[in-house]
Amino acid sequence: MAQILAAVIFVVMFLLIITEKLERHVVTLLSGLLTLILVFGIGMHSMDAIVETLNFKEIFTVEFWYHTGETAETASGINWATIIFIAGMMIMVEGMGHAGFFRWLCMRIAKMVSYKTVPIFITFMIMSAFLSMFIDSITVILFLAAVTVELAHLLRFNPVPMILAEIFCANLGGAATMCGDPPNIIIGTSLGYAFSDFVANTGVIVLFAVIMMVVYFYVIFRKKLVANGAVDVKALPDPKEAITNKRSFVISTIIFLCAVVLLITHAQTGLTVAFIGLFIAVITILTSGKESLIFMKKVDYKTLLFFIGLFIVVGGLEQTGVLEIIAGLIAKISGGNVKLMIGIIIWGSAIASAFVDNIPFAATMIPVIKSLAVAQGVELSTLAWTLSMGTDIGGSATPIGASANVVGTAVAAKSGHPIGWGEYCKYMAPATILVVLFSMVFIFARYL
Amino acid sequence: MDKQLIISIGREFGSGGHEIAEMLAKKFDLNLYDHNILEEIAAEKNVEATHIGKYDEVPRNLIFSRKVRGYSNSMEENVANMQFDYLQDKAAKGESFVVVGRCSETILKPYEGMISMFILGDWEHKVERVMRLYNLSHGEAEVYINRQDKKRKNYHNYYCKGKWGDSRNYDISINSSKLGEEMTAEMLADYIMKRQNMH
Repeated sequence: MAQILAAVIFVVMFLLIITEKLERHVVTLLSGLLTLILVFGIGMHSMDAIVETLNFKEIFTVEFWYHTGETAETASGINWATIIFIAGMMIMVEGMGHAGFFRWLCMRIAKMVSYKTVPIFITFMIMSAFLSMFIDSITVILFLAAVTVELAHLLRFNPVPMILAEIFCANLGGAATMCGDPPNIIIGTSLGYAFSDFVANTGVIVLFAVIMMVVYFYVIFRKKLVANGAVDVKALPDPKEAITNKRSFVISTIIFLCAVVLLITHAQTGLTVAFIGLFIAVITILTSGKESLIFMKKVDYKTLLFFIGLFIVVGGLEQTGVLEIIAGLIAKISGGNVKLMIGIIIWGSAIASAFVDNIPFAATMIPVIKSLAVAQGVELSTLAWTLSMGTDIGGSATPIGASANVVGTAVAAKSGHPIGWGEYCKYMAPATILVVLFSMVFIFARYL
Repeated sequence: MDKQLIISIGREFGSGGHEIAEMLAKKFDLNLYDHNILEEIAAEKNVEATHIGKYDEVPRNLIFSRKVRGYSNSMEENVANMQFDYLQDKAAKGESFVVVGRCSETILKPYEGMISMFILGDWEHKVERVMRLYNLSHGEAEVYINRQDKKRKNYHNYYCKGKWGDSRNYDISINSSKLGEEMTAEMLADYIMKRQNMH
């Protein structure tokens, strides 16, 4: 009974998210509430399940902020570390955007390569991947695509190929680190992996994949990257004009570098991502004076609420054992063959992520891989990297697969350059297949 | 003309609403905005009009598009918003014009000089007109009208609170089949002049 209820709530939630009739945070919060009442309350009569899923007590433990031991707590339910980290990064990114950091960086690089289309194309791809390692891909693409459209207008080239390549690289870069993409933050915090674990595993795959993709996109787009007509470089805007306030610019850059250092060293320092998120937010607020209120108001609370509701619903699936059934199914199909199991996870999550939001998918799959690791004796980390690559990369295949794709194609559309499904998938789906295939082979070779 | 006059015309497919809009534009010597808006937007953005033309007055496809932080990658929605911005910009500059469809009765509501009207028609009359204009059989014309009206309705109701064709949403709703397009236009012109003289 409780299992059926949990599964029905989950499926209805997914369908409602897709139809967008209601805002997605409203959908997950309502579904979360229903899970608490119907699944835990009426179905299971378990107060413990509610307490465990809401997970408030986790925040008040030292371990939540400062990690001492080797083994990490693999808590289920609401992943507060993810919420706090994302909120902190949102505040920091607001500060950076406000000071003109991203626009300045894009313009500076474009100027550095003398506004030549092919070098801009290549550097913007690399920059997209690099920035997405630390900052959410929506913000990265928002700024990159906007500058690309501006440059395309001034230099008279078609921005679509460049925007598509940037989107792909943003999703790719996000896969490299623990904080790059929401699925990775959830995987990292719920399974207890550090920033360096991701860099040493998914990061290596991404490094090769970025090189591969720069070549791929250059080959398929090289004929479209020609600027039409001569352009007076002197008439182009000076990168310095992008900086709205020199003081805030310097401060926000320092805070960003601090965040990068703290993240890279968090396994050594013992500071958890929740601590880093809170620290970065507090520093940004303290140093930005009057504007701090604006930054706090601009935090995308809807996304945070969406996460909270989602974690509760997935908690319902986990507590009732629905996810164990799914894990059992995967184990049965693969018949204990680890290669097949990895194949199913990576392609299954890639295909699913291409069409539905990869965040609920990753959150759902974590308990599944945990249970697979225990039952089948497979190394959990191998499955975690497999899941991470599948969900992060699969999202690139269609215009609706990941948030960066939506924002990138929306910016292009607003500038009068519609990117239809056909055009998008023609270039991006093969790239996605290539990278997922490469990741699978890499995982086979390195871990099995 | 001193006072701003914006004539917003919603219409059922086959009712002759567009023709009436042309007559009113001629009568009051105003620019007529319809799908031609897209040509101007395309020129402004330095892109081909045909590129965005196919998304004109089409409802958003919910399955194949998504919205993230207020950014929608639905081309239909983006084209609609571009047109809304265009119309609002013209209205804000004080221009007088006639506009066909494009949710204009809702998005231009704040402008005092806006007069909104909805043109409908008798079913058989519309079918006969569509058969003649598009060279279709009776059955084909019926299907065509239904499809076009459904599209317009979905498009309109996605962006506006007031329902498409609901008389409460417009200053005046009129069945063009009763008087014919020309006399309906004359009657509407008379109404417009009376409204203008009131202020």
